[in-house]
Formats: sequence, structure tokens, C-alpha cells
Amino acid sequence: MNGFLMLLAVVLPLVTGLLVAFVPQVNAERKTRCTLVGASLLLQCAIVVAIAFGGESMVVLLHLNDALPLALRNDQMGVIFALVMTAMWTVSVFFSFSYMSHEKNEKTYYTFYMLTLGALTALCFAATLVTMYLFFEAVTLLSLALVLHERSKEAVAAAIKYLIYSVAGATLGLMGIFFLVPNLTSPYFVLGGALNLENLTITPDMLLVVLFLALLGFSTKAGMFPMHGWLPTAHPVAPSPASAVLSGVITKAGVVCVIRTIYYAIGPDFLRGTWVQLALLSLATITVFMGSMMALYEKHLKKRLAFSSVSQVSYILCGVYLLDRTALAGSFLHVVFHALIKDGLFLCAGAIIFKTGLTYVDQLKGLGRKMPITFWCFTICSLGLIGIPPTGGFISKWYIAEGAIAGMTGSPVPLFTWLVPVILLLSALLTAGYLMPISIHAFFSPLQEDLRLPSGASLETASDPGRMMTVPLMLLAGAVLVLGTFPGLLINIFNALTALLV
Amino acid sequence: MLIAAVLLPMALGAILPLFRFRREGARSLYIMLSVLATSALMLPLVFTGAPGRETLFQITETLPIAFKLDGAGRVFAGIVSMLWPLATLYGLEYMQKDARKYTFFAFYIITYGVTLGIACASNLITLYLFYELLTLITLPLIMHGGSTRNIRAGLKYLYYSIGGAALVFIGLVYVIYYGGSTEFVYGGLGAMTMGATAGSLRIGYMICFLGFGVKAAIFPLHTWLIEAAVAPTPVTALLHAVAVVKSGVFAIIRATWFIFGPALLRGTYAQHIPLALASITIVYGCTMALKEQNIKRSLAYSTVSNLSYCILGALLLTEGGLRSSLMHMVYHAVIKITLFLCAGMYLKKGIVYSQDMRGVHRATPEVSAIYLLGALSLTGLPPLLGFLSKWMLATSAIQQGSRLALVGVAALTISAVLTFFYLVLPGLTTYMGKPERAYAYRELSPGWKALAPLAVLSVIILVLSFWSAPIGSFFAYAAAGGL
Repeated sequence: MNGFLMLLAVVLPLVTGLLVAFVPQVNAERKTRCTLVGASLLLQCAIVVAIAFGGESMVVLLHLNDALPLALRNDQMGVIFALVMTAMWTVSVFFSFSYMSHEKNEKTYYTFYMLTLGALTALCFAATLVTMYLFFEAVTLLSLALVLHERSKEAVAAAIKYLIYSVAGATLGLMGIFFLVPNLTSPYFVLGGALNLENLTITPDMLLVVLFLALLGFSTKAGMFPMHGWLPTAHPVAPSPASAVLSGVITKAGVVCVIRTIYYAIGPDFLRGTWVQLALLSLATITVFMGSMMALYEKHLKKRLAFSSVSQVSYILCGVYLLDRTALAGSFLHVVFHALIKDGLFLCAGAIIFKTGLTYVDQLKGLGRKMPITFWCFTICSLGLIGIPPTGGFISKWYIAEGAIAGMTGSPVPLFTWLVPVILLLSALLTAGYLMPISIHAFFSPLQEDLRLPSGASLETASDPGRMMTVPLMLLAGAVLVLGTFPGLLINIFNALTALLV
Repeated sequence: MLIAAVLLPMALGAILPLFRFRREGARSLYIMLSVLATSALMLPLVFTGAPGRETLFQITETLPIAFKLDGAGRVFAGIVSMLWPLATLYGLEYMQKDARKYTFFAFYIITYGVTLGIACASNLITLYLFYELLTLITLPLIMHGGSTRNIRAGLKYLYYSIGGAALVFIGLVYVIYYGGSTEFVYGGLGAMTMGATAGSLRIGYMICFLGFGVKAAIFPLHTWLIEAAVAPTPVTALLHAVAVVKSGVFAIIRATWFIFGPALLRGTYAQHIPLALASITIVYGCTMALKEQNIKRSLAYSTVSNLSYCILGALLLTEGGLRSSLMHMVYHAVIKITLFLCAGMYLKKGIVYSQDMRGVHRATPEVSAIYLLGALSLTGLPPLLGFLSKWMLATSAIQQGSRLALVGVAALTISAVLTFFYLVLPGLTTYMGKPERAYAYRELSPGWKALAPLAVLSVIILVLSFWSAPIGSFFAYAAAGGL
């Protein structure tokens, strides 16, 4: 039964997407299409919740050959990610319904929006490395259409950049899979890893080199330095709700692959204390700092948020590469909170663009009084991202820092025990530096009288958007507050899972 | 039966110009029927296997011209006899307006027989005979257009091939002198090592390898293949993606596994140099394919790269390697012919360069979709069939574990990225952006004779992708020396 539900969770968005693409009746009126997409996403939420409460089961889709099955399994980690992704997708789609009314090519947008969710769900449930690779590539190809949405020169250039980085990353990952699979005891993912250490076909040193490249490849999707260049280009050119899911959710596709490779295939013990761990950890830490610095200097709001994603997703990677139980739990928490927060921030940026067409941060002075709901949500999400209790970001960063101290004690390079927490703290300060001024100026500075909107109207006429857009914003901001204040349930779930993994 | 299958198309092709048909249709029917008859003769043998050896005649007492069909031969003969009718049907549409199309088809049919001769050759001397014949018989096909570029490409092909064949001849002398027999035996001619030191035999092997390497388009012997892309598309699609170039690969497999033997070569320079050359060619071909804007020339470079996948597999000198080599030989053949046929349809409509493909999917929805399917398959998106052969190749190389094999895996990885960009990206751009001029819906769609082969090929691609177990186990059987 659960296997059937899992297939349904993959197939339903795909079918919806194809219906939008190929059935003319669906597109005759905007309302029909929106109803179909919205209903299908709500149903999808129900299905994923049902899967979460059901038992674990496995579905083998295809045997490429005897040792190479393509299979899906609703294990705990898959369910966690699928829940986060589906929830974000649903919230953003309701925002899209009114936002996309001022954009062109709505049909293509909804088609690929839904298809991407199908591929992402399958990626979460992938039970073998090859299945994971397949859907990882599929996510890239399908989400490409979202980046390409504007069809402008800028969008095409961004899409190609996105493609080059992603394909290069995915192929590095594939090379790792080439080397890993013959050295695993099981073709399927195993909690804690399944490396066949007695009979390695290549030397452990060689394997480490390959694993480094593979993990670097998968981290591309998560925007880790030095493979981060595409992210600030590609995310902002998409329509805002698409940027929201690209930045808030699709970056986590990279995180899924990294976690699966380390904790379900190789096993953290093989990497612990090796140069691979230190190198990746250094890169992630550098990215945390660098992303924040770049966000600080960026004046375009959506680009600033994209740089912020570069930094924040590397918090998650930091937690993963620490190979520590607490840090990994922190990573899972940050997956949830960063998804909520970044989704919220991008949707706020979208609401601003929708109502005023303004895209630069210094144009937003005084706008907070005109658009109070939007800017209150923006402020709450900003506080979350900085990590001020009781919002969500605090607890996740706390766990990662604690994990760094616990996990790196006794490592060959003790530097990291204090460096990681310090960088996390520094980056939090920088986050405050690039997010708080926006809110402060919006609420306390006077409106810029001389500024004309692209539509020609005066700023005085700006107001909050309609309920279709404010409700998703309030839901996200509310979730950041509520889950930040009462994180106990999440923490229990994640602690139980990470205890099995590390 | 084998003799009949080889000689029938040669005879039918040779007499084609003698007939005076009243109607166009009758001649097309004759062409189609002769190709189909040959396939009908060959395919049952491919599927069931043909025990025994059939001798055509004896050159000397010890050098017979003879045919047999073992596992590897069945693989090659199978591809050839599956794809020839499809390409011929396509050719009938493609060459419709050509004034000298019947001379063209005469040679096209004869080539079928010659290629089967290579597939079914039972010893090196027979293979050599048909290999030389293949050069001569395909020359008019390359020169068919009659322009200076065609002539130049043809001459280049001739010089390269004759040069290669000359090297092979020297190798052949080594084999006859030291081995006595040139018969193909799985694992190599054990007797050979008695007559000669291993060192001189390895020299003989290297000469053979480089000779056959011309048709297999190993860098730096590949340039003829790129020039030859000026030939009509049915020729580039069938001969320069399948028959001629795969003859080169097949001959290398024969020389490596059935004449000199893996035991002789393993761990020596005679393995290392070919492996290194293959890795270089893989990366070089892909890089050039990315640089090249002309669609057909780009595909030709892609063939250069993919042929070396097969060579890499064969030269790993493990059973798994040979298996993946045979597998890639088949899969690449099916995919690349599909891509070339699509490119031909674009070329017919004046779309020569990859940037012209932008936005044309509305004008040729079928061709765009099939092109994208082929492109994704060759790139190796699982579960499409290009993935499995690359996977087997990479894992065999990793299991073999030598340093050069691992370099090969790195080359495969680089090549996979590049393949995506020279193949899939143009395929995606047919769905994006605006075309140079506004086409009407299905304005560029070809007729049924071109569409039917494309449809059959894409069905083959999909079926093999999702149901590869039987053919996969056959490759294992063939690679283990099964008949």
C-alpha cells in the first residue's frame, strides 16, 4: 500500500504537469488550471503525510542489470525531505496563482513546476545511487525551464550557466558512483553506509580522491564554493515563486545526494579525519563566510537573497561534513528552517515586485508602512535567518556549532573545533548586516518621494498584495516562529534518525 | 547459408544498373526487397547461431576464404542486418531527387554484403579481403556528390584506408608466418607463441592495431571520418556511424581477442599504448564535437569519441571489458544512426549548423523529439540505453584497476559532460527560443519513408532501455567466447 502511495507521489505531479502541457481544456481558463494544480498539490501533501505515517516499503522500478536496480523506498530521511519539499511547493504555488498573472508563459511555468516536483519527490525516495543520479539530472533538466522563464538574453545566459555547472557537478557525482557501486556490499542504501572495506577494488587513497570529487560534484547543486557561481545568476532571473523553490528547496537536492552518499553508501567512519573531510569542511566554511560577504555588497534584493542561500545551504553542508550526530541533526533542522525562511524571503521579494516593480534594496525605504504584512513577514524571516531566538534559525545553528565542538575534538586538525562556530557566528552577524537594514529602512525611513515606479505610479499608492499572496507569506513566517519556539518534535525525530546514521 | 547471405546483396547490387525499370516505384521496390531478403537470410542465423564453417574457396591449402558466425560475429552481423533496411528506406526518401541515385544504391547494396563478409569472416585473411573491398566499394558513395569537397574527402579516405590496410597486411604476414593459421580462436592462437618470441608478436599486434585503427578512427588517424561527413546522410548515418567504423572496431576486437590473444598483450606496452590512445581519442573527439558547429561534422567527432569507448573496453583485456565493448558497439550504433538520420532531415531543410536548430521543434515535432531521445541516450541518462554500456565500461575498468584504466574512467566522465553540451543542449534549444524565420506547424516534417525508420529506431532505443536483460546476457555469452 505504501509502495503504491509512494509511486503515486511521484506520478501525480508528473501527470498534472503533463495535463497542463497537453490538454487544451485545462488551459482554456486560468481558473481551471489553477484549480487543477492547487488541488493536485494539496492531494500530494496528503499523500506524503500518509506515506510518513505508513511503514517503510520498497518499489523496484527496473533492473538495468542484475546488480543495478532502479528503486524507490520511503525511508525516514526520504520522507523528511519529501515533506519539506512538498510543503514549500504547495505554499509557493498558491502565491504563484496571483503572482504569475502578470507574467507570460504561464502554461510552461506550471508544467515544469509540477514536473520538477515529481522528479524531486523521486530523488528523495531514491533507494540506490543510480536512481538518485537519474532524478538528480532530471531535476536539473526540468528546473531549467523555470530559470529560463523570462526568455530574455539574461535568462538564457543564466540557464546555460546553471546547466554547465549542474551537469558538470552531476557527472562528477556519477564518476563517484562508478567507483562506489562495485565497492558496496549492497546496491541499496544502508543506514550508516555499506562500504566493502575488505575487498576494495581500488586503493583507499584513490577512493578518497574520487569521493572528494563526487561530493564536490553533488555540492554544486547546494552552491558550495568553488562551484557556487551559477546560483546567484540563475536563481534571481526566475519568477519570484520559482526563485523561492529554487533557492529554498532545489538547493537541498544537492544536500540529499551528499547525505545519501556519505551516510547511506560510504559510511561516515571511512571519511572521518581524512583530508577529504577537512577539505570539504573547509570549503563549506569558506562558503558560509563568503556568501554572506557577497550578500552584504549586493544591492539587488533577489541577488542578495541568492547569495544568502549560498551561505546558508553551506551551513547545512558544514553540519553534514562534520560527521557528527548533533551536527547532522542541526543540518536537518536547518534544511527545514532554511526552506521555510528562504521561501518566505523570496516570496516577500516577489510581493514587492508584484506591487511596485522595485528590485533594489535602497528603493525600499519607507515601504514598510505601505506594505506592512509583507515587511513584517520579511522581518520575521530575517530574524530567523540570522538566528535570533525564538525563531527557527537559532536552534539549527546552535546544533551545528555544538556538533562542531563535539565532533572535531580529537580530529587531526583541532582548529575546526573553534573555527567552525566562530565562522558561523561571524556569518550570522553579516546576515544581520545584509537583512536588518532593509527592514529598518522600510519601517523607519521616509518614502523616497522622487522615486517613480516602473508603472509610472507614485510610491504612495503601493499596498499589500491580495490574500492569495499574503496568506502564504504569513503561513511561512508563522511556521518559522512556531517551529522555532517549539522545536521539540523536530529535534526528537532528527535525533532518532541521526543516531542510526552516525 | 552464410555464403549466400554475403554474396546475395553483392550480386543483387551489382546487377541493379543492368535493369531498365519502367517505373520509379519498381526500382525502389527492387532495392528494398534485395536488402530485406538479405536481412531475412541473416537475422535467423544471428538469433539462432550458425554452427560450422563454410569455405568459399582456398587461396592456398592453409589459407581458406571462409565464414563462420561466433558470438562476436553475431553481434556485429546483428547490428548490420537490423539497421541496413532502415537506412535504405530512409535513403529512398533522402535521395529521391538525386539524378544518380541508382548507381548510389547499387554500391549501397553491395556494401551490405561486404560488411556481412567482415562480420562473418572466419579468419584474418577473409576479414582482410573484405576489409579492403569495403574501402573500394564505399569510395563512390563518399564521392557521390561529385563536388571538389566530395572528391577530396574520398581521396583522403582512400589514402588513409589503403595506408591502414597496408599496415594490416604486414600484421597479417606476421600472423601467417608465426601462427601458420589465421583462424579466429577465442583467446588467441596458442600455437603462435611457439614460433616466435613474444616481443616480435607484440610488434605485429601494434602494427595490426594501428592499421585497423584507421577505420576505427583513433586519434590521430581519424581525420578522414570528419571529412567524409560531406557524403549523403544515408552514407554518413549507416557507414560512418555503423558499418565502416564498426568494422574497424570489430577487426581490432578480432585481432586482440581472437588472433594475438589477451594473454600475450596483458600488462605490456601493446596494451598500454592502445589504452592511452583510446582515452586521448575519447576526450579529443568530444572536445572537437563541442567546438564544431556543423551538425553532421559534430556527430562525426562524437563517433570518433564513442568508437574509442569500444576500443577502451576491448583493450581492458577482461571479459567484462569485452562485454561492455560489444554492448557499446550495438548501443552506439543504434543511437548514432538515429541522430544522423535526424540531422539529415534537418540538413534537407537547410538547417546545417547547430545554432539553426533553435526553436524548430514546432516545424518538425517528430524529429526534434527523436533527436532529444537519442541525445539523452548517448549522454547516458539512466535508464536510457547509453547509460548501461557506459556503466559496464566504467565498472569493468575500475575492476581491472590498472592506472590507465582509471584514466579511461576519467576520460569517460569528461566525455559525458561534453556529450551533454554538444548533443543535448542543441536538442534542448529546438524547444527554446525563436527560430530564424517563422515556420508553419510541421512545415519541415519529412515523409513516411524517413519517419518510419526513425520511429522504429526510437522504439528499439526504448525497448532496449527498459528490457535489456536478454541482450545483456547475450553480450556476456559472446564476450566469454560463446558461439
